Amino acid sequence: MNDSFLQWLLLAGPLWAAIGLYFLPRISPKRKRGAAISESDLQVAGVIGGFALGPLGIGIFYFEPRLIRRLTLAAGITIAVFISSQVLVRVSDPNLPSALWLILAGPLWAGIASYFIPRRYRAVEAIDTNALTAAALGGFAIGPLIIGLMWQRTPRIGREWMIALGSLGAWQIYTLFAVHNVSNPCVAAPYHVTYLTQQTANGVVIGSIYSLMAVGLTLIYSVQGVVSFAHGQLYMVGGYFSFYFLQYAGDFLSNLTGADISVNPIWGIPVAAVIVFVMGAVFERIFLKPMHEGLIERVSEYAILITFGFGFFLEYTTLAIAGPFPQRTGRFIEIRRFTLDRIHFSDDFFFGPIHIIGDRAFAMFVGIALIFALLYFLQRSWTGRALRATSQDRQAAAVTGINPTNMNTLSFAMGSMLAAMSGAALIPIFNWVPWVGAEMVGRSYVIVVLGGLGSVPGALVGGVIVGIVEALGAGCHPDPSRGAAYKEAFPLVIFALVLLLKPTGLFGREQT
Amino acid sequence: MKRITIVISIAALLALTAMLPLGIVQADGHCEFADDSIKIGGLVPLSAPGAVAGGIAMSWAINRAADDINADCGIEIDGANYAIEVVIGDSEGSPERGQAVVERFILEDEVDAVTGVYHSAVGLATMGMLDENSVPTVFSEPWNDNVSANGIMEYDGRPPRNADGVDHVFRVSPASSMVGGVVVDWLNDLGVDNVVIIAENTDYGQPAAADEKARFEAAGATVTQINVELGTEDFVPILSRIQAAADTPDVVRVLVTGETSFNLTQQMAELGIAPTEDTICVTNQVAFQSEQYWLNVPDGNYCAFNRVGIIPSLFSDLAVELNASYFEEFEDIVPSYAMATYDAVWIIAKGMEQAGSKSDGAAIVAAIEATDLDLSQGRYYFEYGNHNPDLPEGTPAFMWHQWPDPVVTMMQYFEQGQSSLDAAVIFPQVYQTHGTGYIVPGTSP
Repeated sequence: MNDSFLQWLLLAGPLWAAIGLYFLPRISPKRKRGAAISESDLQVAGVIGGFALGPLGIGIFYFEPRLIRRLTLAAGITIAVFISSQVLVRVSDPNLPSALWLILAGPLWAGIASYFIPRRYRAVEAIDTNALTAAALGGFAIGPLIIGLMWQRTPRIGREWMIALGSLGAWQIYTLFAVHNVSNPCVAAPYHVTYLTQQTANGVVIGSIYSLMAVGLTLIYSVQGVVSFAHGQLYMVGGYFSFYFLQYAGDFLSNLTGADISVNPIWGIPVAAVIVFVMGAVFERIFLKPMHEGLIERVSEYAILITFGFGFFLEYTTLAIAGPFPQRTGRFIEIRRFTLDRIHFSDDFFFGPIHIIGDRAFAMFVGIALIFALLYFLQRSWTGRALRATSQDRQAAAVTGINPTNMNTLSFAMGSMLAAMSGAALIPIFNWVPWVGAEMVGRSYVIVVLGGLGSVPGALVGGVIVGIVEALGAGCHPDPSRGAAYKEAFPLVIFALVLLLKPTGLFGREQT
Repeated sequence: MKRITIVISIAALLALTAMLPLGIVQADGHCEFADDSIKIGGLVPLSAPGAVAGGIAMSWAINRAADDINADCGIEIDGANYAIEVVIGDSEGSPERGQAVVERFILEDEVDAVTGVYHSAVGLATMGMLDENSVPTVFSEPWNDNVSANGIMEYDGRPPRNADGVDHVFRVSPASSMVGGVVVDWLNDLGVDNVVIIAENTDYGQPAAADEKARFEAAGATVTQINVELGTEDFVPILSRIQAAADTPDVVRVLVTGETSFNLTQQMAELGIAPTEDTICVTNQVAFQSEQYWLNVPDGNYCAFNRVGIIPSLFSDLAVELNASYFEEFEDIVPSYAMATYDAVWIIAKGMEQAGSKSDGAAIVAAIEATDLDLSQGRYYFEYGNHNPDLPEGTPAFMWHQWPDPVVTMMQYFEQGQSSLDAAVIFPQVYQTHGTGYIVPGTSP
């Protein structure tokens, strides 16, 4: 790294920022051409101008204080991004710990910001929702600048702040790759745009299908307050019901017509849905209803054990009936993959090709359609509203004539049904064995917590995020083997961060 | 009085019912068995994450061999006929679980010998325990070189198994290096330069990949190795990475076992990575189970795979009979590991007969070392052991207590839905069935 630049960054930048912070509010005319400038604005301008441009920055804001209001935030962030990119790009020795910022300075500033900023918000009685998350993200991405800005302005932190700061953090990581892992397909021009798009598409496609399963889990939790540990096995039996239905229906039609007929797996989805809906309803009535009627003493433990037991029962019964050999149904569509051919913008700049496996694309549309149908049902139908009402306040719902017992049964049956539909949508894509649900259910828990327990849109977004993180993690990790091995672990990093910074999840509501 | 009569009648009926099986045995049997039996422990994976389908096939083979031996009056030792009693233990494919099962075999079940083992990790973890407790063992499927090499080589900081004079562990499946040598020789003959190896992160996949990588690199090829976890379902992000590489690989070699290899191969085909005109697909030997393969890898036509065991056209009468019996049970072709497991039980049984003991480990080992038997996979013998302890220079250590002649061939499907009995044998040349070393996708031999 260039020594003088480093010196500026470590010594002169903070020095001038301190000078700006102290002097600019004192020397600047408070009113110029009708523009009233608050002291905190001047302090922020002093920090940003001083840090980035030294005396020149302080001078600019002194002579043109109107710029402060309009451009402080944008200029501050832009300059900070520029500086940090310069830091990264100037690290000329690839053997240097590339994560100098990422590993040391980023987390350090994130920690400092997470400690101080929420306290500042509470001290000035500002709304501190999201302050912790924003401070951590901002500290990680921009370091002391964002701390200064948030300290002085304590701005109301909306979703746009989170997105902007989160994107900045991601950008930092990406820049590190660009500098230190130049052959990585995620950064190696000119193919990297195509590759990133390909991996993102892979993630969105599979993530949408993950979402469908997670939505069922979140529906059950929101109404009953129960985490179903049988969800993975319900997903598994959904696939098997579809498989056997298609097999028997195909044989029946073939015998009837004399021709060799195979039934499209799309028909297996409603069949699996109906069977598992009934299964879920019966299970709920027999085993979970007593819990809500006060007949069970240790409700939480009971709910875990009984759903866990149900899952074991389903898995081993299926193993006994279907055997351990993997099964798979035919295709949804006879198109092996959709390919967007390469588009050449110039000799050096092109985009594509992008490949999406046909059946996955189809399953994605099925998954999204079902989630939107569920949202429509929850928002527009009386029963859906009753479910939502029960999830918000059971007693109040009962007062208005809603039968919470029926809503419990309906929620468990519907949640189970969604898991089964997810299984029936995926059996043409993956080999199906009785223990196939184990991996998926772990992922579902991550998704629902990430999106916010009880939030259907949260599960949808959470599923897509998990899909994208898995795809990009596996696709961009500098070591392909580690990338492949840790594929399921990458979302857990996001999961841990969300638990740490925003325990209610992205779309979750506070428990009252 | 009437009540007493009814009670006595019911009791008599129950007693007769309970004795019925014994009566049947006595009526149908033509052998006088000794009071106690010979217990053979079968250590196989019957639960995830192990290869359950493989475990079930091996379990079937052990029981089938025991039935056949018992039908032949069991094992004759000092004039007494001992029936074989099979004790199956589920390793779950996990070394820890495998050790727990072996401990149970030794302490509770008191088995006289052990066979089975699908996963190398389980073999490596249990071989020391079996040896220390003097249990004659014939492993039938773990491929890791060290499973047999540890008979004379230090492993994991511990002395070789024969350090106390007797090594109790044998192997009738091939060592990874024996298989890898055939695969690499074939691909080198085809002139591949750019190789991608996708290997499972296990005691089978990693050494096998290292061995093949070294052989490819020695031949001047460039090798990219990607390790994956067994049980992974979605390989698309990883495969997209291969697809994004600047140079299209000449071959993608799958060193992943069981159901996981089906998912990987199918997704590879769906994405158009391999098999293509430019890229050879070499998938796992489970592809030989053609019913399973076509159900789960419908786009896998033209994939090649290594086949361990005698080629179907050269099946002996015993192999044909075994295959028919397996097909009746599972509606698929008998896999090599089931044949090897079946043969392993026979090797143990004949070893005990030869040794004249069911409990003298050293004598049984000596008898097994002297084995010369024709069974379903061919003629069994062990070239190196205490009877011939000096391996000539250049002979790999894994040849210790290793059946030296497992037939390894390369096969290739060339028609959608083809039975593996009709698939082309493409390497070695001496076994070629269609006069070609490789069938280019889209063509017929």
